[in-house]
Amino acid sequence: MTPDDALTLARTRRHFFRDCRVGVGAIALGSLLNRDARAAEQAPPPRAARRDPLAPKPPHFPAKAKAVIYLFMAGAPSQLELFEPKPELNKLHGQKVPETFTQGKRFAFIKGDAKLLGSGRKFAQHGQCGMPLSELLPHHRAIVDDVCWLRGMKTDVFNHGPAKCFVNTGSPQFGRPSMGAWLTYGLGSESDQLPGFVVLQSGPRGPRGGAALYGCGFLPSHYQGVPFLKGPSPVLDLAPPPGYDARRQGEFTAAVNDLNRLRHAATGDPETEARIAAYETAYRMQSAAPELTDLSKETKETLELYGAEPGKPGFAANCLLARRLVERGVRFVQLYHTDWDHHGGALDLGKPLETICREIDRPCAALVQDLKRRGLLDSTLVVWGGEFGRTPMGEKRETTGRDHHVDAYTMWLAGGGVKPGLVYGETDEIGYNVTENPVHVHDLQATILHQLGLDHTRLTYRFQGRDYRLTDVHGTVVRDILA
Amino acid sequence: MPLPVPLLAVALVAPPAAAGPVDYARDIRPILANACFKCHGPAVQKAKLRLDTRAGATKAGVVVPGKPDDSPLITRICAADDDGRMPPPEAADRLNAGQVAQLRAWIARGAEYPPHWAFIPVRRPVVPEIRNPKSEIRNDIDRFILARLEREGLSPSPPADRSTLLRRVTLDLTGLLPTPPEVADFLADRSPDAYEKAVDRLLASPHYGERQARHWLDLARYADSNGYTIDGPRSIWPYRDWVIQALNADLPFDRFTVEQLAGDLLPDATRDQRVATGFHRNTSFNEEGGTDPEQFRVERTVDRANTTAAVWLGLTAGCAQCHDHKYDPLSQKDYYRLYAFFDNCDEPTLPLGGDPDLEAKIADLQRRTVESRLAGNDAETKRLEAEVTKASKGVPTTLVMRERKEPRATFVHLRGDFLRHGDGVRPGFPSTLASPAVATAGRLTRLDLANWLVSPDNPLTARVAVNREWQKFVGRGLVETENDFGIQGSLPTHPELLDWLAAEFHTDWSFKRLHRLIVTSATYRQASAVRPDLRARDPRNLLLGRQARLRLDAEVIRDAALSASGLLNPKVGGPGVFPPQPKEVFAFTQSQRTWTESTGPDRYRRGMYTYVWRQSQHPLLTTFDAADAQTACTRRNRSNTPLQALHLANDPVFVELAAGLGKRIEAQSALDDPGRVRWAFRTCLARDPSPAEAERLLAYLESQRRSDPLTAWAAVARVLLNLDEFITRE
Repeated sequence: MTPDDALTLARTRRHFFRDCRVGVGAIALGSLLNRDARAAEQAPPPRAARRDPLAPKPPHFPAKAKAVIYLFMAGAPSQLELFEPKPELNKLHGQKVPETFTQGKRFAFIKGDAKLLGSGRKFAQHGQCGMPLSELLPHHRAIVDDVCWLRGMKTDVFNHGPAKCFVNTGSPQFGRPSMGAWLTYGLGSESDQLPGFVVLQSGPRGPRGGAALYGCGFLPSHYQGVPFLKGPSPVLDLAPPPGYDARRQGEFTAAVNDLNRLRHAATGDPETEARIAAYETAYRMQSAAPELTDLSKETKETLELYGAEPGKPGFAANCLLARRLVERGVRFVQLYHTDWDHHGGALDLGKPLETICREIDRPCAALVQDLKRRGLLDSTLVVWGGEFGRTPMGEKRETTGRDHHVDAYTMWLAGGGVKPGLVYGETDEIGYNVTENPVHVHDLQATILHQLGLDHTRLTYRFQGRDYRLTDVHGTVVRDILA
Repeated sequence: MPLPVPLLAVALVAPPAAAGPVDYARDIRPILANACFKCHGPAVQKAKLRLDTRAGATKAGVVVPGKPDDSPLITRICAADDDGRMPPPEAADRLNAGQVAQLRAWIARGAEYPPHWAFIPVRRPVVPEIRNPKSEIRNDIDRFILARLEREGLSPSPPADRSTLLRRVTLDLTGLLPTPPEVADFLADRSPDAYEKAVDRLLASPHYGERQARHWLDLARYADSNGYTIDGPRSIWPYRDWVIQALNADLPFDRFTVEQLAGDLLPDATRDQRVATGFHRNTSFNEEGGTDPEQFRVERTVDRANTTAAVWLGLTAGCAQCHDHKYDPLSQKDYYRLYAFFDNCDEPTLPLGGDPDLEAKIADLQRRTVESRLAGNDAETKRLEAEVTKASKGVPTTLVMRERKEPRATFVHLRGDFLRHGDGVRPGFPSTLASPAVATAGRLTRLDLANWLVSPDNPLTARVAVNREWQKFVGRGLVETENDFGIQGSLPTHPELLDWLAAEFHTDWSFKRLHRLIVTSATYRQASAVRPDLRARDPRNLLLGRQARLRLDAEVIRDAALSASGLLNPKVGGPGVFPPQPKEVFAFTQSQRTWTESTGPDRYRRGMYTYVWRQSQHPLLTTFDAADAQTACTRRNRSNTPLQALHLANDPVFVELAAGLGKRIEAQSALDDPGRVRWAFRTCLARDPSPAEAERLLAYLESQRRSDPLTAWAAVARVLLNLDEFITRE
């Protein structure tokens, strides 16, 4: 909002108050506004008039999707164990990689003499699209024709932290706004009781990179991702202090805002009106957020579909929460699930990979199916993937795993106006390089914004003398995959 | 109903009113930049034509100086047919008659492209005369501000209430609330220089250095951890304390600059001068396994070059990391010359006291730790880390810079890729900013760079610095793009005042004198209430017909609440502390770190001493727009969000502070309820409540007594700490 807009709205607001005010006595005003606070949910003034910076804004062009659910597989899943059967790689198992592949490449851990590693996983083709899926993802078979499979993903960065930052913010340097921040900056959010950009986490540890991955960078802090906490109070400081029930908290909010209104009458500063609106929204959030995270209202059948249990945090509960958030108008839901970093050693491609696949397989499939049957899949873009892929070469620690690979890996998209049942992109016979239809991270970002009705070259913010954008100076919308 | 839109459209805009002859920077460049440069500018030259330089425009004959009618530029923009007109319909709208007239006038006067204002040396301007004898003038700042207001037919605002003024200046200079006795003394002092005396008291306070240091630490990207994904702890708080002490001692800005950029290179460098070089050790440091150490050394060096350019030159040098700067005269080679100054550093840890050999021992252990970590040897890394801790036990350490004996060879990085070397370069100043005379036969060092930055022929440093100081006291720089004084940056709203302040600052580089000058001006002392006439004519308050109401910075919100609660521990300096924060917040990062809540007096230290853990900053800091400690932050956002409301209302720290304030109110046993409400208002807001405010708060008190008589005053205190006015300096 420009300051000019703010002032226009301030005028609207002032008139609103003048028209509503019935007496000049502070007590009369107070009791009126007290009632006002209780009735806030019934008839709040329009959000724009409340100077709510997250009020919905029109997109650049008609949008296909209204919301994004990003299932971030943190640590980088192995495409060669999940989506990419490579008989030739299995045949070459144990041999050195032909130098033509590795020349000039850099890796995190493996050295130049690494040997190729075949995959022991069984694959079969599924659905009308014939996408091969490994035995590790049995539930994904049910959504195989709802999903657009991107097998030619490429990225630039081969260490976890910077690579996650790259996928989330378009830059490997920490401190840029994340995709969710850009989207809420560009579009606002339809919910005025919940944050527009919510972050949900599961797995043994948080994603490497921490808060920078869902930060707002140089954008105002309205747009930063709000990490939900486990437990009944999902937002920080949501619970009133000890001794305050809802009525007493309401009295508190009314007293603060009455005094704010009196000061506003003396100073005329629109910021005070924004502060009043923020206290009203915060008050509403205190009842809306616990209701949101209470999964006991879901049917037994739905809970089973996801494999979720009320009161039990985890990836399954988070997928179900993501649907509930999108239903309530939240713009961007970012999930992180750790840890996919299967180098060998404690995390290898045997049991540890099987365990994490079991954790995510069913909830991911359930989310797509559940959105679809509720008619939400068309307007919700689901994104699945890690920060890079894993090498066709093995990495020997105590046990064998795979190193970080930036040149070819797999992600998938579902809903949000993306072609269902499309297998897009090919890699060579050992899965080292993309041979057809590569999609770079910046292309994916441009495409996600496009589906939300935003031109990635026009969604900019001026900082340090430069117009910054999510895709930096790169990115092309992948039109081939749009429905 | 909102007022009709056209009224807003006539509101003032940033540049001076378009009176007098046409001016290239103000009138012409914006037209050309919007309509022409995309295809005929620095980046793209369709038809081999560029219009951003006089040579380009005249060589092609598109502009014929003195002859607008013979200039194809004019005929093309006036072409009747859309097919032939410039800019083409798909690129931009047709230029309007006013714009065409301005372009004609400019060509008629010779089509000059004078150099960019900020690259011309500062000359002390003549102070303007003020016609209105009734205008309040306290120093020359006011003459510049009033001259402009007079020109627009606007009047300044009356002085703020004395209590508001004292709260304002106390918060701006020290970041604390004035105590009720300080307010009472000030109100009782009717001498003409009562305010100046208060200002001098505040400038002499040890808390002045704290508040001003926090601004500087934003630029220095100060943090107590290494950043990136591992984000291990680091000890560099002695650098933070050096900044506080330097500002309290009013170390002149030229010395302040030289010691931070090159203290280690000064002859017989003192320990403090070495500590000061911590400025450029505040870069993030990647400890992740499997990383290429050279890649991240390069990133730290890039950050040092970019930060230096942003902080002292107000230039966005980072653009030239990959290619010649598109707008400013900074080539990629210039960039790597600047980079080369920082390419030649080692990064040692300096023990402050202890065994004389300790520094070498720590250095050796640290080198081995890094090698072990990069090799992925976790057990050995842990063992070595423990040894480093043991070796430096009991002795504080800090991070410093040291020049290498053998310089590294520096190259241009093609497209910014450190693996692709272009031409070799040596340290050097940007060619368009420095006179050729400063080039010497020997290799230039960081010390030469620092001396050049504060030398009289540097056109930018003083302007950039005073602009940031001005921003502290009115919320906006005279150049609004405080981090971009280049061609794409905004023009100063008061160019003469900016240069006058720069010239003043340059005489002795004293921050305290500059701050005194600003805060004793009538401009600073105006009321901040929004006036209807100003709202219509100057909605963004660019002309400063009133003061600004500014939300306090994150740390100052804590400090104000601590002041009001009576719990503040005023200790200055020392290692970072750990005020309470919800456990689930800190458990969020990858490597689990412990946040051992400070107990005793350390629990109540000022916000600036909260341990800054880069990847998991304290929620107070992230919620209220504190600097992110990743890159130099030259201006903080001031957002206004529901999460801020939740934090102030419900966070256990603020609830505890409200309880503290509640106890203080109750302890005023000589006072009745209205008297206590008045006392609480004075404590929090430095003023008495209006009858309506007192009535509302007393009604709330009664309702809370019905809920819980024991906590009723704490409830009142909680309301006060949540007021918009409490977290605002008016």
